Amino acid sequence: MRVTLQKELDQLESALQEEGELVLRAVRGCLGALERQDEELADEVIAFDDEVDEAYLRIEEGIQSLLARQTPVAVDLRTVLAVLHVNLHLERMADYCVTVAKLTKLVAGVPPDKTLMGAFEEMGARAEEMIRVALGSFAGRDLGRAESLVELDELIDLANRRAVQQVIAIGGDDERREWGLRMLLVSRCLERIGDHAVDIGEQTAFLVTGEFREFTDASH
Amino acid sequence: MSATNPSVDLHGGPTRGAWRGRIFYAALLLSLTVGFATLGTLVVQVLKKGIGVVDPVLLTNPPSADPAIAGARPAILATLYLGILLIAFTGPIGVGTAIYLEEYANRNRWYNRLLEINIQNLAAVPSIVYGILGLAFLVRGLGLGRVLLAGALILTLLVLPTVIIAAREAIRAVPGSIREGAYALGATKWQVTWRQVLPAAIPGIATGSILAVSRAIGETAPLLMIGALTYISFNPTIAGPFTALPVQIYNWTKLPNAEFKDLAAAAIVVLLAMILLLNATAIWLRNRYQKKW
Amino acid sequence: MVTMSDAETELVRMRGVDQSDLAERERHMPPPESREVVFDVSGLSVRYGSARALKDVSIRVYKNFVTAFIGPSGCGKSTFIRCFNRMNDLIPTAVVEGAVHYHGQDLYGPQVDPVEVRKRIGMVFQKPNPFPKSIYDNVAFGPRVLGMTDDLDERVERALAQAALWDEAKDRLKASALSLSGGQQQRLCIARCLAVEPDVLLMDEPASALDPIATTRIEDLMHDLKRDYTIVIVTHNMQQAARIADMTAFFSVDVSDEGKQRSGILVEYDTTPKIFTQPSDKRTEDYVTGRFG
Repeated sequence: MRVTLQKELDQLESALQEEGELVLRAVRGCLGALERQDEELADEVIAFDDEVDEAYLRIEEGIQSLLARQTPVAVDLRTVLAVLHVNLHLERMADYCVTVAKLTKLVAGVPPDKTLMGAFEEMGARAEEMIRVALGSFAGRDLGRAESLVELDELIDLANRRAVQQVIAIGGDDERREWGLRMLLVSRCLERIGDHAVDIGEQTAFLVTGEFREFTDASH
Repeated sequence: MSATNPSVDLHGGPTRGAWRGRIFYAALLLSLTVGFATLGTLVVQVLKKGIGVVDPVLLTNPPSADPAIAGARPAILATLYLGILLIAFTGPIGVGTAIYLEEYANRNRWYNRLLEINIQNLAAVPSIVYGILGLAFLVRGLGLGRVLLAGALILTLLVLPTVIIAAREAIRAVPGSIREGAYALGATKWQVTWRQVLPAAIPGIATGSILAVSRAIGETAPLLMIGALTYISFNPTIAGPFTALPVQIYNWTKLPNAEFKDLAAAAIVVLLAMILLLNATAIWLRNRYQKKW
Repeated sequence: MVTMSDAETELVRMRGVDQSDLAERERHMPPPESREVVFDVSGLSVRYGSARALKDVSIRVYKNFVTAFIGPSGCGKSTFIRCFNRMNDLIPTAVVEGAVHYHGQDLYGPQVDPVEVRKRIGMVFQKPNPFPKSIYDNVAFGPRVLGMTDDLDERVERALAQAALWDEAKDRLKASALSLSGGQQQRLCIARCLAVEPDVLLMDEPASALDPIATTRIEDLMHDLKRDYTIVIVTHNMQQAARIADMTAFFSVDVSDEGKQRSGILVEYDTTPKIFTQPSDKRTEDYVTGRFG
């Protein structure tokens, strides 16, 4: 029954998962560029954002068309609204990757601090993991798994705070301090990517329970 | 328990309509009683007089001056033949006319409207007029003579308007959606009429025809007009002289001998039985095909 | 887990996003202009006597699409769809002006036989109209009147299967069609049309007399049928058009001559997503948003 509606919903969700794959590639790409100070790779990441934007637009159009034509209700409506929000969050994540790539280009030539790079590697790994968990729990409508994102996010937040300490500790000349500031922004970007992943988890919760709630309050 | 609200009173007061309703209902019952009482009285009278006299003698013997051995066989047979011929004639002609008027005729044409009006009028013409008509045109005009066939033809004319009207009603009762569905599949007008409309209308047509025929076989006036002979002792043939049951009854009642009057009553019982049988067939037919709808 | 693949692999992987899936979804809705045209209507006007029902309609219906006609009551959409299989011929006062070309041939040409037209262009009506016959005889009626009597059993089974009714009907083919539920009867009517192997299926509000579940089954059925047939549907339920139609045409009423002449006109015709997300004409938008009474 309502074969077309189900097919279109499935198509939207699989498009979303594919967009997630694109975002994962962007994250890996921008981190790789950062660690190896690879300007060419950074350019690729920036150009690659167009593809994410294209995927984003197609999903947007698909949602508009589905809402207009199929008038979904109940769980179908919540699914469409959740896809709408997850789509936004994924696109924002990709934009943050672009920011990291641009920052990488700006600090080209400056020798990096090994400890900080190590921290970024760890944050990047966490971020990737969180994206996978977020998308996986969305696909599987797994509330428990979605809620586990909060703990993973705390790890990134902790790493972000340690990065700040590290930058302050490094100090150094103007060039070094400028590098430090830019790296703070990189850290902030990675932390924001983690937050968006948590937001995706909240959409999973909305889809399953029908209630929208923030997993944690703003004070953490 | 909720508190009762005094402004809501469901008991109702004296209604004006109730009296009128009761009076109306009483009037209906009265007319029903009058109708059935009259009919009942007639039937009971006839049965009282005649039921004892109905025996094989009545059914198998030809008439005779001696009431003890008098029978009504020729008359019974003639009535039967008339009935069969009636159905055979009115069927095709009546149904054909009805089909033409309902399916093919363009209502805007003057001759079709004229035809319709005439049919309505013909149904109301007294049967004796048909008798005179038959005498003038069939017996004398066509030279058929005073034969069973002429009698059948006259009765056909008498009954045809009723059959046409009944057939038209039956055809009209077939929903237009059936016709549309058939046309939409690529059927021609003929195919739609023959394969959908007629089969669906047959029960109604048959019922109407049988009822008309059962009325016709009780007609006496036209048969008398064309000279259904009063005394026939041989079995009737289509092209030969004949007498029918109503005529036989009429003649027996004219005779002074009281026993003949009893025979007449018996013959009436036989005639009523035949009509009853025909009507029962009509009802059975109608019920059998009604569930298809 | 971050896998540190080398830069080259990264580049290739980032560039090589799988395009085929996305293209597949684009192909789901190819632009209509590249499709074969089944009906080419130009300047079509229909009037019943002096009352103009449709004014100057021009439209192209595409092959293997579901094309929906929507609009308020009285806008002539039922009149219009009946032009496609010459059902308006059955209404004496109907006059059709303009041209309807079917695969390049004028449907109203002088040598054209309406029976041939209706063989290729079938119609399903608003109220299911099964014939008062068995299920088998209903489906077999079309082939029988058109002389397609070879392998009749197979034809009937195929038609019923295509109409998603075979499983429910296969054990009761001789049962009366009227013993089916409303939704089943409508699928029977669809099977009846399919039995004559048409090219086009016209549906005049096929689900408006059915409950929501039966409606959904008919809609799913239409989705399957459009693989092999071209479907045109009239519906007063615009959500239904939104759900199932590939192209949607919006009709409205044009009041002219100081309100004396109300005729139907085609306001907008476009792909369904366009009509329901960003219609070009304000009248269309007023209608689909429900602001137009």
